[in-house]
Amino acid sequence: MSLNYQAVGWNRQKKIYDRTMVLGVLLYLGLFIGITATTNPTATAETLMIRGFGTAALLLLHIILAIGPLARLNPMFLPLLYNRRHMGVTMFVLALAHAVLAMIQFHAGGDQFPLISLFTSNGDYSSVSQFPFQPLGFFALAILFFMAATSHDFWLANLTAPTWKRLHMMVYVAYFLLIGHVVLGVLQAESSPFLAGVLGLGAAVVWGLHLTSAWLEKADDEEGNGEGFVDVCAVEDIPEKRARIVCLSGERVAVFKYDGKVSAISNVCRHQNGPLGEGKVVDGCVTCPWHGYQYRPHDGASPPPFTEKVPTFRVKVSEGRVLVDPRPLAPGTAVEPAVIAENAAEELSS
Amino acid sequence: MSEPERDDFYVGYFDQAPSVVGAFVKGKVLLLLVLVAGVAALLALAQGTFAPAVFEFGNVRDFEGVIATKPYPMLRVSRPGESPGEAPTWSRYFLVDPFKFGADERVANLDGKRVRLSGTLVYRDDQTMIEIDASKDIEVLGEAAGGGAGLSFGTVTLVGEIVDSKCFLGVMNPGELKPHKACAVRCVSGGIPPVLVVRDGQGAARYFMLADTNGGQVNDRVLDLIAEPVRIQGEMVRMDNLWVLKADPATYQLVK
Ligand code: FES
Repeated sequence: MSLNYQAVGWNRQKKIYDRTMVLGVLLYLGLFIGITATTNPTATAETLMIRGFGTAALLLLHIILAIGPLARLNPMFLPLLYNRRHMGVTMFVLALAHAVLAMIQFHAGGDQFPLISLFTSNGDYSSVSQFPFQPLGFFALAILFFMAATSHDFWLANLTAPTWKRLHMMVYVAYFLLIGHVVLGVLQAESSPFLAGVLGLGAAVVWGLHLTSAWLEKADDEEGNGEGFVDVCAVEDIPEKRARIVCLSGERVAVFKYDGKVSAISNVCRHQNGPLGEGKVVDGCVTCPWHGYQYRPHDGASPPPFTEKVPTFRVKVSEGRVLVDPRPLAPGTAVEPAVIAENAAEELSS
Repeated sequence: MSEPERDDFYVGYFDQAPSVVGAFVKGKVLLLLVLVAGVAALLALAQGTFAPAVFEFGNVRDFEGVIATKPYPMLRVSRPGESPGEAPTWSRYFLVDPFKFGADERVANLDGKRVRLSGTLVYRDDQTMIEIDASKDIEVLGEAAGGGAGLSFGTVTLVGEIVDSKCFLGVMNPGELKPHKACAVRCVSGGIPPVLVVRDGQGAARYFMLADTNGGQVNDRVLDLIAEPVRIQGEMVRMDNLWVLKADPATYQLVK
């Protein structure tokens, strides 16, 4: 599936996804601005918008960060993960609106060039409580811009998936900068415990989900010793057409069972590092749960005309146990699938 | 692809999600929308109340009065006496330029002149400011008696926050504390009169224009102390309805 950054087109699901997201954003802005304007008639329009856009972006960032671990904990959440980039770009646009308005409001029309004013007008860099919070927001926005700009599959293809993924991990840096931006900024003037409470709750949800999913994955990883074939699980532990993900010599391996055979390939999809072991064998091919890239289980290669390849692993089935050689073979190397003997299966079930 | 193979397995490029997944996601998305609405309402209601400060944006009026330039540009407007036969009193309105600039240059040669000018009102509590309409010239109507240097009320020590009077009085709302600090620095640096806001036990605000011991402007010397609690000991001087606090900015103390 190379040359195909257009392959995933704008289909019905994407439209539903985007429409729902826009609806959510409008719902938030409408309620926040509407309620604030009604309860505070003297609030100025710029303040309403700066606060509305800023809080909407932050809320969306929390949702974005929660989707990843949610989808790992329960694959039913996968539809939300797919197209998550649209949420990312939307969040960037909201954050940008917040930043541009704040920049005009607080820094334009003065005796200093606004961008310089942003970094210098509050120069208390050595203080904690007075620390200039606006530059924190600026740097977070720069990261978000960078991510939004490279969000297209074009960049994914040209930067290669692992590099792209590493770049996009910067979202966590942006998250921490933004927490600082809020805590050292508006929370220094607002006294309601609800505001700090909501922020703390958001952090608890995001990090709680991340820790839980990481912990569960770790528990799932059965460590091999790296010498010869390693017993990874019983044949019957693997559901038909599905895989079990095991960690061998530090690498994740997806062990698939299908049509009376067992094959093992790398767990990492070439597209965006999606977890192939959470996918399924569809039409004879391992299908990535994230965007549907496909690989043949016996040689880890995408069916022609596509050219993606993932590493494969030698497998054996013996006495109802699956044994995998932890040394990865070059991507695309064909490996004879291990055949599950009828009697072995019967032996075990009896 | 045959339908049975799909069951609960989701692949994003299919037009239709499997029904189990579809129903699950729909439920969760609805829940999320409810959550989003809840957060919007909670955050909106949890904000501190906005001060009753007004900037009559877009509403330009004409004013007549006498310009006073010290310590900061002001317009003295005569008020009819409260009871018939009583002498007229004077009120002072701050004068500032559009955006983040003071009006010093504009009124530099007009001290003690009776003028007519156009501008937009900004007001909060008993303080009033006019943002001069830069597109119209100030019309000089004649000479008038100066307002004098004010009446001294002795030395006091006050604790409050230094704000830029323009934003605080209503151009921005809220126009104080940390979130507004950078803007206040910009405004004061641009010539907007710095004012010490002192709150009494009830939260009501008193306003003191800041001047040095010679009655000169202190803008460039207070930038580091804006939006933080400060203690200032100085001479309290009354100019018509406004108060000035005269002290050397080097003696201002941050209250930790
Ligand atoms: S990560 Fe996109 S298809 Fe696998």
